[in-house]
Amino acid sequence: MGAVVSNAVSSIQARVLIPGRASGEALVLDDTLSFWGGFDPAKGEIIDVHHPQFGQRVGARVLFIPESRGSAGTPGGIAETLRNGTGPHAFVLGERDVNIGVGTLVANRLYNMDVPVLVVTLDQMAQFRSGETIEIDRRGLISVKR
Amino acid sequence: MKLNQLDQERLDGKLGKAMQFAMQTIVTAAHIDQVDSLIDISFAHIDACFYNGRAHLDFVNYMLEHGATLAVPSWTNNGLVALNDLSLRDPHASREMDEARQLMQAYVRLGCNPVWTCAPYQLPDRPKLGAHIVGSESNAVSFYNSVIGARSNKYGDYLDVCAAIIGRVPFSKLHRDEARAAELVFDVSKLPQSVLDNDLFYHLLGHVIGRRSGHRIPAVTGLAASCNEDDLKAISAAGSSSGSVPLFHAVGITPEAATLEIACQGAAVEQVIELEITDLQQARRELGVNSERPLAGIALGTPHFSFSEFERLVDLLGERRVQAGLVCYLTTSRHVYAQAAERGWTDALEVAGMKIITDTCTYFSPAINGLEGKIMTNSAKWAYYAPGMLPVEAVIGSLAECVESAVSGEVRLDQWALS
Repeated sequence: MGAVVSNAVSSIQARVLIPGRASGEALVLDDTLSFWGGFDPAKGEIIDVHHPQFGQRVGARVLFIPESRGSAGTPGGIAETLRNGTGPHAFVLGERDVNIGVGTLVANRLYNMDVPVLVVTLDQMAQFRSGETIEIDRRGLISVKR
Repeated sequence: MKLNQLDQERLDGKLGKAMQFAMQTIVTAAHIDQVDSLIDISFAHIDACFYNGRAHLDFVNYMLEHGATLAVPSWTNNGLVALNDLSLRDPHASREMDEARQLMQAYVRLGCNPVWTCAPYQLPDRPKLGAHIVGSESNAVSFYNSVIGARSNKYGDYLDVCAAIIGRVPFSKLHRDEARAAELVFDVSKLPQSVLDNDLFYHLLGHVIGRRSGHRIPAVTGLAASCNEDDLKAISAAGSSSGSVPLFHAVGITPEAATLEIACQGAAVEQVIELEITDLQQARRELGVNSERPLAGIALGTPHFSFSEFERLVDLLGERRVQAGLVCYLTTSRHVYAQAAERGWTDALEVAGMKIITDTCTYFSPAINGLEGKIMTNSAKWAYYAPGMLPVEAVIGSLAECVESAVSGEVRLDQWALS
């Protein structure tokens, strides 16, 4: 990828892992995260002290994350934060992550939610910045308002 | 997606909502993994019985209310609480602990075999070489793949249960031959025999492998033939704590690695790392430095203690007792506990001052009986995780060093030059 001018990207077509519609402020994580042990689903807060975004909350954000890490507990952490209302409005992944996909699918089903999980390339992910306003449609089109 | 008639009927909801939900989850996982076929499994080890919030309970209750049944033998991982000693994490003390108890009981109602262990491979009737299975707990996935040669991806919560209900999984990744080839080599042949004979070495080796392998499948060359299943358990657990190693090959020892060439499936190795004593010393430091604080306790059995580890412990302890005031926990499965009890070992160890726990483990929150302070452990996995979840600091040592420390009441690292 060449240099990206800050307002050059208005939309990116992602691949849809779990369909849904969402909008929210972007939170871009610089590292992988375990949603068991590294994350508090009661508060929706990153509690892994080694994580670059330690202390940040994911609630109502469009969460950009390279992928989850580690434990079998990640789907439970995802479903629980969504159940609590502390979870993100959408996930945009850099890898095809089954754990995040399944956790979201279960929460969508059990709690009648519509949280999408999308995947983009890591190069595409690098074009998003925390704080940007994001909209996602059911076909996986990610629109950015800058 | 190629579905047989039964799977299609499940997906269409003709066999009820639970079957439909489980099938949708399997199909979604296949979609995410980009595979278009499923494969039959013969066994599942279920992690979703480990409480991680109310959603876990809502999930299994939905399945039970809508008539789910299990298609294959399914054994339970540890729970958060010990069903046969609820006082350890008291259900009356919090809603979470009560829901953790309900969750475990729900999986018994679903039809799981309640073995409550993270080391199910220590029990009889384990899967065979080449069997397609569902593993979930990270050390068990690694042990099943590496030491037994059964085939499992690392299945997360919910997908493990859905797979056990459907009896099939996406035919992806480690279920396929080509994903199982070794890609890098850790050579330990330069290390002295005295190091290879020490049980702590295998924990440190696993830690190094986890740190350095990334997404690649590692092989280890130069291990002694004396390397046993407890040692391989240590590599499995440590490698999936410091990193994510769902499969490793121990050349000359594990079943898919008679030779390095076979382990690599004939392909060239990308990288060979020759391990030196300094690598292991660094691993030991990463897992905890012995501070000036007094020793508060000992934690053994992560993953669950085996029969042979009991035998060694009893032998090392002899007629001696744990120093008064020290808490000394040993976690194991009900099955191995019964085997050890038959030999009189559990009584002897309890009399000597050790507390033996089944069904659960000590390294995660909430702390068992307020466990805190400087804790010595023989487990890299315990040392890696516990300081992040409990008010503890960890010191790692061999089983012999843990025993000497337990008896003397202070950390004794005098047995091995690596300290």
